[in-house]
Amino acid sequence: MSHVHRVRFTIGASATLAMLLASPAFADDWGTLKGRFKFGGAVPTAAALKADKDVEVCGKEKLLNEELVVGADGGIANVVVFVRDKDVKVHPDAAAAKAPVLMDNKNCRFEPHVAFVQIGQPLTLKNSDSVGHNSNIATIKNPPSNSLIAAGAESNVTFKAEEAIPAQVTCNIHPWMKGWVLVRPNPYGAVSSADGSFEIKNLPAGDIELQLWHEKAGYIGEISVKGKSEKIAKGRKKIKVAAGDNDLGEMVLDANLFKK
Amino acid sequence: MNTTTSADIRHTEGQRPAWSVKIVLALLVVLGGTGCGATPPAWFRLNMVEATKQKLTSDQERQVATLLAAMFGTPDDPVALPETGLDEAKLRLAAGPVRSDIVGRKNGLYREHCAHCHGVTGDALGPTAAFLNPYPRDYRPGIYKFKSTERADKPTHADMTRILKNGIPGTSMPSFALLSETQIDALVEYVKYLSIRGETELGLIRAYFELDDDAEGKLPETREFLVGEVLEPVAEKWKTAADALIPVPEMPADIDMVASIAKGRELFYGDKANCVKCHGPTAMGDGQANDYDDWNKTIVEWTKEVVGTDDKQWASRAHRVLDGDSLEPRTIPPRNLRRGIYRGGRRPLDLYYRIHAGINGAPMPAAKGTVPPEDIWHIVNYVQSLPYELDGELGADRPMVARDRF
Repeated sequence: MSHVHRVRFTIGASATLAMLLASPAFADDWGTLKGRFKFGGAVPTAAALKADKDVEVCGKEKLLNEELVVGADGGIANVVVFVRDKDVKVHPDAAAAKAPVLMDNKNCRFEPHVAFVQIGQPLTLKNSDSVGHNSNIATIKNPPSNSLIAAGAESNVTFKAEEAIPAQVTCNIHPWMKGWVLVRPNPYGAVSSADGSFEIKNLPAGDIELQLWHEKAGYIGEISVKGKSEKIAKGRKKIKVAAGDNDLGEMVLDANLFKK
Repeated sequence: MNTTTSADIRHTEGQRPAWSVKIVLALLVVLGGTGCGATPPAWFRLNMVEATKQKLTSDQERQVATLLAAMFGTPDDPVALPETGLDEAKLRLAAGPVRSDIVGRKNGLYREHCAHCHGVTGDALGPTAAFLNPYPRDYRPGIYKFKSTERADKPTHADMTRILKNGIPGTSMPSFALLSETQIDALVEYVKYLSIRGETELGLIRAYFELDDDAEGKLPETREFLVGEVLEPVAEKWKTAADALIPVPEMPADIDMVASIAKGRELFYGDKANCVKCHGPTAMGDGQANDYDDWNKTIVEWTKEVVGTDDKQWASRAHRVLDGDSLEPRTIPPRNLRRGIYRGGRRPLDLYYRIHAGINGAPMPAAKGTVPPEDIWHIVNYVQSLPYELDGELGADRPMVARDRF
């Protein structure tokens, strides 16, 4: 008798629980975050790299040092913006999007220079060149890997753990080749494009903490918006995301941050 | 002195009543106290390269040292938490000053045989280290080159035993084949201990960066964090090393050696295996030669950061660290394959491991996935023929060993 009761109670309880769990997703508000990074100082010119291996392929295009890429209008490329909060709520569309992220070895450079992947999302290392490459990924919390990638071939890597900072990707055959990959537990990260702009879609409305990183500056310690400077320790910046569009505006990063 | 929290780390406290005494001793050592008597207590050096890289404060450095002393003891009095999977009795045989114990058994094996190069801490900063080329191995990052496991995995106990027994040809690492099995076993266990300790130290130092603001720059001193989050993931990899053995298909017994060597040569110079890019067109290591291994690269990158910084106080402190806590970085030359000296062992199987998995910590990439197993065997056969290959280009009409040229 009491058994029957308990069973009924359990069924009833799980049904209620399921309803509770299913409904709030529709009520949530999601916002899109935009912004642009601008170089605070005279636009630097990138130094040429000495491509002294496989010159017939690697010397085809003039290779430039990509540690700091600033466009003619001052936009800073390859600034990484990601959400630091561990338990951030993830939009169902964003969670499902785990298509492979491509990192191409092309003309003896990595394209893109910085890749952003989620845990479990494959990073496809492709070799579009006619010479062999290898991709040495110096992750800290994931097992580091270094695989040969034959001309025209590709190799997939997936990561099981999140990383606190982007990991360097290098090619030992062509040591000037340097790229980065950041592994996070959620889809909320972006890398600024050639004009310095970035966009993160489907963020949960409310308070979140961003983290800003750049290869040369490390974690960005100071940003300035409309002439007002703000020190941000360890590149951490707390913001409030509203439903709909959110624009952080033009964030100027002083030239001194990149003196390394 | 705050010792209350550190004592919580060991949950089987009842078994070791002298625990709090040990912490006080450890602290004395950490804080620079020296004992009286003939042998001053030995102490582990902090990983100052990583500590300055992560810009730890002196309070934070002290916290790392205190936590490590609580979790691992001291060089004279090592502790193996059950989660490490290490055998404390073996560690005791290897640790401490060289001496005989009550039954006349030699103790302090590590300091007798290893510490002068590898350092008491296993940081490869022993007094002779600077004079050796290559430098001795720094155990602290837990990276080992010559092993039967996949690239990122730990060496097995048997792999490390093999290195101790055979030594490493072409380096200053001698053979310890004259030691007893028990002694070698104790030393292997102790080297693992130094690695697990070193990796835990790196984990602790790096964890400061990820702290939330309300932690006020202090790591949580809870079992859950120290053992659960930092130590266990490290120890787990060591415990499961034997699960990651490289699968090696047997070389066909009736293989046509001449054809196999020819095929191997093709692969060596071909675009897939790409050996020629580093080992060079003559296979004498004259290809890509300006790269660093992981240990030296850490110093190179760190120096770049220090030189570039605006924080003068930090830079001057970091430079002082460079003087005492690291050696001048060196590039790693790709191996000259015509000398017939193979550091990780000269069995065909050893060469198969090296080609399949690459060499962890070194630029050598893994052929796994790109070069099929039967082709790896062809490359092994070709590489083994290299010291005896006729070198027509140089006009020599006899089997040649490259050494003749120098």
